[in-house]
Amino acid sequence: MISQIFILSSKGDHLIYKDFRGEAGSDAVTVFYEKVTALPGDQPPVVMSHGDLHFVHVRQGGLYCVATTAADSSPFTVIEFLNRLMALIKDYCGSLSEKSVRMNFALIYELLDEVVDYGYIQTTSSDVLKNFIQTEAVSSKPFSLFDLSNVGLFGAETQQSKVAPSSAATRPILSSRGEQGGKSEIFVDVIERLCVVIGSNGVVMKADVEGEIRVKCYMPSCSEMRIGLNEEFSIGKSQLRGYGAAVRVDECSFHQAVRLDEFDSHRILRVCPSQGEQTVMQYQLSDDLPSAPPFRLFPTVERDVGGRLLLYLKLRCDLPPKRSVLLQDATTTHTPLCQELSSPDQSAELQPHSRAVVWQIPRFPGGTQLSALFKLEVPGLSSASMLEVGPVGLSFELPKVTATGLQIRFLRLSPVQPGASQRWVRYVTHSDSYTIRI
Amino acid sequence: MTDSKYFTTTKKGEIFELKAELNSDKKEKKKEAVKKVIASMTVGKDVSALFPDVVNCMQTDNLELKKLVYLYLMNYAKSQPDMAIMAVNTFVKDCEDPNPLIRALAVRTMGCIRVDKITEYLCEPLRKCLKDEDPYVRKTAAVCVAKLHDINAQLVEDQGFLDTLKDLISDSNPMVVANAVAALSEIAESHPNSNLLDLNPQSINKLLTALNECTEWGQIFILDCLANYTPRDDRESQSICERVTPRLSHANSAVVLSAVKVLMKFMEMLPKDLDYYGTLLKKLAPPLVTLLSAEPELQYVALRNINLIVQKRPEILKHEMKVFFVKYNDPIYVKLEKLDIMIRLASQANIAQVLAELKEYATEVDVDFVRKAVRAIGRCAIKVEQSAERCVSTLLDLIQTKVNYVVQEAIVVIKDIFRKYPNKYESVIATLCENLDSLDEPEARAAMIWIVGEYAERIDNADELLESFLEGFHDESTQVQLQLLTAIVKLFLKKPTETQELVQQVLSLATQDSDNPDLRDRGYIYWRLLSTDPVAAKEVVLAEKPLISEETDLIEPTLLEELICHIGTLASVYHKPPSAFVEGSRGVQHKRLPARAGSGESAESPDTVSTGGVSEAPPAVIPSQGDLLGDLLNLDLTPPTTTGPPPPTSSMQMGAMDLLGGGLDSLLGGDIGGSPAMGASFGAPPAVMPGSFNAPVSGGLSDLFDLGGGVGMPMGAYVPPKTVWLPAMKAKGLEISGTFARRSGVVQMEMTLTNKAMSVMGDFAIQFNRNSFGLAPAGPLQVLTPFTPNQSIEVTLPLNTVGPVMKMEPLNNLQVAVKNNIDVFYFSCQYPISMLFVEDGKMERQVFLATWKDIPNDNESQFQIKDCHLNSDAASNKLQGSNIFTIAKRTVDGQDMLYQSMKLTNGIWILAELKVQAGNPNYTISLKCRAPEVAQSVFQSYEAVLKN
Repeated sequence: MISQIFILSSKGDHLIYKDFRGEAGSDAVTVFYEKVTALPGDQPPVVMSHGDLHFVHVRQGGLYCVATTAADSSPFTVIEFLNRLMALIKDYCGSLSEKSVRMNFALIYELLDEVVDYGYIQTTSSDVLKNFIQTEAVSSKPFSLFDLSNVGLFGAETQQSKVAPSSAATRPILSSRGEQGGKSEIFVDVIERLCVVIGSNGVVMKADVEGEIRVKCYMPSCSEMRIGLNEEFSIGKSQLRGYGAAVRVDECSFHQAVRLDEFDSHRILRVCPSQGEQTVMQYQLSDDLPSAPPFRLFPTVERDVGGRLLLYLKLRCDLPPKRSVLLQDATTTHTPLCQELSSPDQSAELQPHSRAVVWQIPRFPGGTQLSALFKLEVPGLSSASMLEVGPVGLSFELPKVTATGLQIRFLRLSPVQPGASQRWVRYVTHSDSYTIRI
Repeated sequence: MTDSKYFTTTKKGEIFELKAELNSDKKEKKKEAVKKVIASMTVGKDVSALFPDVVNCMQTDNLELKKLVYLYLMNYAKSQPDMAIMAVNTFVKDCEDPNPLIRALAVRTMGCIRVDKITEYLCEPLRKCLKDEDPYVRKTAAVCVAKLHDINAQLVEDQGFLDTLKDLISDSNPMVVANAVAALSEIAESHPNSNLLDLNPQSINKLLTALNECTEWGQIFILDCLANYTPRDDRESQSICERVTPRLSHANSAVVLSAVKVLMKFMEMLPKDLDYYGTLLKKLAPPLVTLLSAEPELQYVALRNINLIVQKRPEILKHEMKVFFVKYNDPIYVKLEKLDIMIRLASQANIAQVLAELKEYATEVDVDFVRKAVRAIGRCAIKVEQSAERCVSTLLDLIQTKVNYVVQEAIVVIKDIFRKYPNKYESVIATLCENLDSLDEPEARAAMIWIVGEYAERIDNADELLESFLEGFHDESTQVQLQLLTAIVKLFLKKPTETQELVQQVLSLATQDSDNPDLRDRGYIYWRLLSTDPVAAKEVVLAEKPLISEETDLIEPTLLEELICHIGTLASVYHKPPSAFVEGSRGVQHKRLPARAGSGESAESPDTVSTGGVSEAPPAVIPSQGDLLGDLLNLDLTPPTTTGPPPPTSSMQMGAMDLLGGGLDSLLGGDIGGSPAMGASFGAPPAVMPGSFNAPVSGGLSDLFDLGGGVGMPMGAYVPPKTVWLPAMKAKGLEISGTFARRSGVVQMEMTLTNKAMSVMGDFAIQFNRNSFGLAPAGPLQVLTPFTPNQSIEVTLPLNTVGPVMKMEPLNNLQVAVKNNIDVFYFSCQYPISMLFVEDGKMERQVFLATWKDIPNDNESQFQIKDCHLNSDAASNKLQGSNIFTIAKRTVDGQDMLYQSMKLTNGIWILAELKVQAGNPNYTISLKCRAPEVAQSVFQSYEAVLKN
């Protein structure tokens, strides 16, 4: 049972405060902020307690969204709920930032009132909520550089995203109400996260994919949508379908609004998308990628005559040609360096506090190879300290690629939408953790 | 126009301006004004002065404005209860509005106004709304019952809302069902025995049906409620499991975890040879793995839960080792948790994989993580014997890196490996010795010295190595000094010829130049041993050491069982029972896993076999609060009809007892009342010796000093002197003074009754109010009649502890009613809690260690006992007389630490650490108990026992 919910800016300003059960005073807000800022490091514990009060919080868009509870309630429920709440606020206000929350506080209070009653979570479905919410959202400017820091490509959270978000993806869902001229658009994003470990001998030790299909709907009158996946899509180990190379996943879970009556026979998901964003399907695959991992590294670590550490990295991108990626790559080692990179638009620097060399590659076309040579001064270099070099971690974003090979065959809306409706299908693969050991 | 401007107005006279705007005729302006008020409210400004003006805006048909006004009302009604009444009429009217949104809004808001006065107006509208045709209104009303119950529980019961709420469980709308279940569950928690949520197969069936239809959040309420149900047999259990299993593939991780909780609990009832049991085990793994792909926060919570599940049923995830491999970008809290689970899952089958991973981790940057990874390698070696060799070679590789903290950590764990597998890996000693100079942490230095001493005969230059440490002897920490002393003595015993000089040097350093009594004493003991009987010295110093095992870090089985019942809650994240951190009566119900059906199961489930005396879950000490006064007045004081015929000889024995029953009993061990006469007349078994006499003080593990445990005359239990409980003035001439004693395992109330009235008394009866430990008279109060004026008699009343239980304040308070032919008299007295310490309160050493660790530090309380001039042995003897058992004694820095345990009649264990410093009359005592409420009383008992 949730006792209070509050939203704080990163500076600790109270943006929203609502008490549901009268169990704790409003000083809890200050206590929380003091606790969270007094912590060393930037990884606060998920659950903190103060006397009989327990704080659970998530941080999104530079905001602390906090729930308190005085009973032995489930942190899962609370975290899951806070994430949904943030998503709802994003859906209703267009974006999630201090500014948008300030501008729409009345709307958010109204939302909170419907979403939680006496600490019991009622609903977080925007479909149900739209019947109750009266306040109109006030939209901030659709795009500003300021927002870039926390919104990634297609609105997905990534570690380093330098691509402007589609302005369509940050508009409040209800703003079209009243003004009929608004574009009706639907986005279906297939987002995959790759987690790979390649051993020092080049053998793939672990290759996992976590993927999801996310639907973002700005269509006022859409009653049903049918999403067709690859016919040869199979779940589990034994099943094989069709003659082509199978697109296989280990596990699959669906949003509860998805109807699966045509899934077994034709691999069609039937969804009645509610306004805003929702994850329709989640899946995962471990240790059985249909293709080789996208990047290979050929490292050489040596000690030169002057007692310096020589690090020669050759990186190959195994994607089909004409695909380019954003890449950043980090190696763990010691102190000062001099560098030779194979192309001028790349950069590299040494980050002493994390003892890492960071090599940034803005574009990396498929089928090509890049190399870099780093010379590092290491005081007291010994043969044993060579063991300490590595591993190399890669972070990247591969647009238009799915690691599992999952594709959306078609996207049909019924009833057929009058006027110009736009349907977008987008694919992206992120690196969740891509490690190559040296 | 945006709302953000509301936050920026800080002009003077703001309140005044707002007031004017609130009273404006224009709707838009009013709305803007209310928004401004709410903005001020959010940032913490006091806008309660505007209460009447805002309430005036309430009567509007604009829903948006109405919602804003209600928002304001919820916040300030409490501070303005009289004003809040003004709003009542509008509420009542809104509850009958044709628009269901407004009806629901009104009921919801009214419930949030936590003002007592408003509740009576709330009843009628609430009753109507509970039967409303619109499910939205009904579900809101269901929650409102819980709100009202929190404000005024009696009212809710009187008005019959609970029955209506029960009916809503069968509602056609799943949302209503979910809210009704949530509300009832919460109300039921405050009435543990009410059976409010009458769970039976029929209602369970209804809930399971609703489960498929309601929202994800509703599913959580229902699943949590199901988890409290105990199925009648394994078949029912299986059918529930079958219907819950589909929830495992839900996208909401909270639903998944609640389903896991239900399954883990009901699985306990399924016979293990059932096919379905195996199927279920297989089905549990994928959802748990899926949880690990969520956000780091959820991952962390999931890992804490998986940690519990893995300890309970390792078979579920035994094939999923890979998912717990650490990613380089995991937050540190996730990394450490994963590492822990990896060790728990390590087995012969996967150890190679695990070791390869751990080796990688050991070269990462994060120091804490690296240290933990190195330790983990050592734990693997100890856990999986077959892997020990590979672990050792991995550790050696790591030592080669010469990274300081890696080397030190590796040496510490290699010492443990040597302990576990003696005489197996000595070949690595040479490599270890190379790193001697780089060790700067005491733990690593001590470990290294231990290794050198233990294997002195195989290290050619052991004497040189140890000598090199000896140079800075006085700068070392105690740990290292003690280890060095022992190591050199070991060396001497193994190679007496070359090392005589060295041993003399260390003995003189330890005994003459050190001011640390601990070190000095150990030095003297070695010295004397060596000089008097070298053979004995060999036997003592080079004695075979007990093996160590990896199970030390497991959660104690009963706690684990309780935590499994709380999967997905805060308890599972903290790994503490809810009673440890949830305030009040709610948390104290202990949940337990159901017993497995069928027979012959226990043998094959070693994981459920619990150790020693702690196996019983601490029972609920303190049930919910009761009506104290009412109870005392309702005491049924009719004297028992079957009062045994008073023995004709009793008058004579009374006299005898008068002589004996004085105040000297506290000095004598045995019970003075143990004369056969008294046994006969009062039914108390004759006391011979306190049962505790036989319990020896356990011998030491490796520390010599443990041997010195107290072997002396055991003393009797402490009996406080009698005090006047009921003065004659208050009881029409009857004076009662008394005390409590525990004599040969029976708790007794010993009273002196004096008749100071002018008339004869008779018809005595006694009764106790409910009390913390369920004390109750075990027999009738037998007073010899006629009880003539100015006569004084001794009465001993045996007690038992099976009476009704209620928490008292203070805990050891006892309220007594005594009746005679004149009147009923009430008094209260306090018993020393030591009389509830039972004779089998001696805990196993290992169990003690595990339990001590297991009880959260928050439960520890510390006290000072002043002016006590006993040495530790005498104290230990004295305490043993009162069933406080010394389990071990350790001497550190001249302080004697006594580790003691005792057990209360209701099965609660109390662990104590008593610090006695020679020459210092003040003792420090730390108490740890799962029920920390008892600490204060236990301390008082300590004080009383030690000082008398």
